[in-house]
Amino acid sequence: MSVARSSQVLAAEQLAREGKLPAAVEACYEALAIADRDPLAHVLLGHLMLAGDFYDEAIAASTQAIELDPDCAPAYLALGLAYDRRGGMWDQSVLVWHELAEVSPNLVTAHVQLGEAFAAAAFEEESVDSWKRALELDPKEARANYNLAIAALKREGMSTALPTFRVAGELDPSQDELFFALLGLPANDISIDPATVGPLREGRLFAAGMLARQEDYFGAADLLRLLLDENSEDVDALAIAAYAYLKQEATTEAMACALRALTYSVDMPTALYTLGVVYSRFPGLSKHAARVFIALARVAPQHSLTHVLLAESLLGLQRFSQAKRAYRAAVRLDPACVRARFGLAAVHLTEGSYAEAQWEMRRAAYYDTKRHGLFWRLFDEYVAGGDA
Amino acid sequence: MSSEEATRLYQAFVDQDPASAIQVIERVRSSGVPQVQLFDTLYVPALSLLGGAWASGAIDEITFTQASVVAEQIGSFVMPPVAKADTGVTLVLGTMHRDRHSVMKDIVASALKEVGYRVNDLGIDVRPADFLERLEETGARVVLVFAETMATARAVIRVREMFAASGRDDAVILVAGGPFAADASLARAVGANGIITGAESALRVLARVRTDILGGEAS
Repeated sequence: MSVARSSQVLAAEQLAREGKLPAAVEACYEALAIADRDPLAHVLLGHLMLAGDFYDEAIAASTQAIELDPDCAPAYLALGLAYDRRGGMWDQSVLVWHELAEVSPNLVTAHVQLGEAFAAAAFEEESVDSWKRALELDPKEARANYNLAIAALKREGMSTALPTFRVAGELDPSQDELFFALLGLPANDISIDPATVGPLREGRLFAAGMLARQEDYFGAADLLRLLLDENSEDVDALAIAAYAYLKQEATTEAMACALRALTYSVDMPTALYTLGVVYSRFPGLSKHAARVFIALARVAPQHSLTHVLLAESLLGLQRFSQAKRAYRAAVRLDPACVRARFGLAAVHLTEGSYAEAQWEMRRAAYYDTKRHGLFWRLFDEYVAGGDA
Repeated sequence: MSSEEATRLYQAFVDQDPASAIQVIERVRSSGVPQVQLFDTLYVPALSLLGGAWASGAIDEITFTQASVVAEQIGSFVMPPVAKADTGVTLVLGTMHRDRHSVMKDIVASALKEVGYRVNDLGIDVRPADFLERLEETGARVVLVFAETMATARAVIRVREMFAASGRDDAVILVAGGPFAADASLARAVGANGIITGAESALRVLARVRTDILGGEAS
């Protein structure tokens, strides 16, 4: 059954979605003046207070919403995030995330956050169980993987943690996005019918890239073959072919194509990317991976992930200070880069800087939940009366 | 080593002949090319030739795949060695008695193992007598003591006293943990020879200990 919204709540919601925080807060107070037992007004107020970094107020409003309706999932989210960001409230945080996982058992973020709250309270086994539960729900959940990497680092050191970081990175869609950004494809997907692609090189390359992004590797391969039949030294076609092979776990073919492309164009970003990713899969090639990613970061310094890839290769060489500089460069370019935040946390741990590590992970959680628009998803589902 | 050998290796891939591929590698190795350079000088050019052959249509998709399988099979013959050479230096490390912090210790131990130190990890809550006992057992001359609280950091002096009482003044004691990082004089007060502030610092300090104190010798 859907939850009825008063006109004041609707106004507050509209303003909040538009990012007009002071006006939205005012509208919430107006709504509460008329009906102070409306959980929607309280939960909106909690969310807005959290957005303004007023943690105690966010805690009070979200708690009130939960008291009025214990099934109010967005209130648990706001409350848990407020506890986490305020710091020093790990016991309450564990309870809240546990409740959210109960209210919305299929909500992956609830399990990830619960794991982080457990970890902050030094319940290591429980935290690992929570992240594994999150991965059961979504095997590509990047933050759960990064947390497991940090847990491995704490127990067994960097040599065990690094492969988990890399696996997490490769599952993270942002890494594929980097390749297509290097290729110069637009961010939006365009449907491609290989049969209707014209004979011009640029059109074929664009279509092959788009098809590769849509994971239609056979369609991409047909177009790449046409391009290579016309010019076997077409470096762009070779680089896309290398990527397509990499995505199909044919690492040797990927390496062969990338190396061929680099013989014609030594600093080609797309080929450097694929070669570096292949090299980083082999522990014996850590130095090679670092060399390739240094070159990539030099030719494409505007992409935060090029610095992250470089940093991870430096971690493999135990050059932690250099890795920290590369991670910081990534965070400067993209403060919401979860992978860089967790990488920085790992470096801080190698330095014994536990508080700094914890801070980076909390920032990662903040940006990650914000990026996913989780509050509004839960809010909409709550209003619609559905399960998250 | 000439590009002819890379061409021969490429041909062995295309012929799906791993035995010939290994012969080429062994021949190049015996000509004086060290293991760490085989990948760059032989394998990379051969793979580039393979990629070029596929791109030009000289070999078809199936041959490319089969050749890649052979290239993958013999990959281990050309890979640079993963493990660093054994330094011959034995270390004893552990967290001080009544201290259960393990994160820094585990990270440092792993970093040191990876570069070839022989690490004897005694774990957490280690009594001074246990450090001494393992020092005697292994013949180690370097001990890393971790302590994350003021009380346990101050107690590290008991390790030095026990070593002195047993005639092991020659042992190098390195300390790590928040109290030592915050106050370097504390390390001197407990008789430590140096402070480790993290994994990279451990690698740096141990390298210096090897050259300055152990004279590059194994111990």
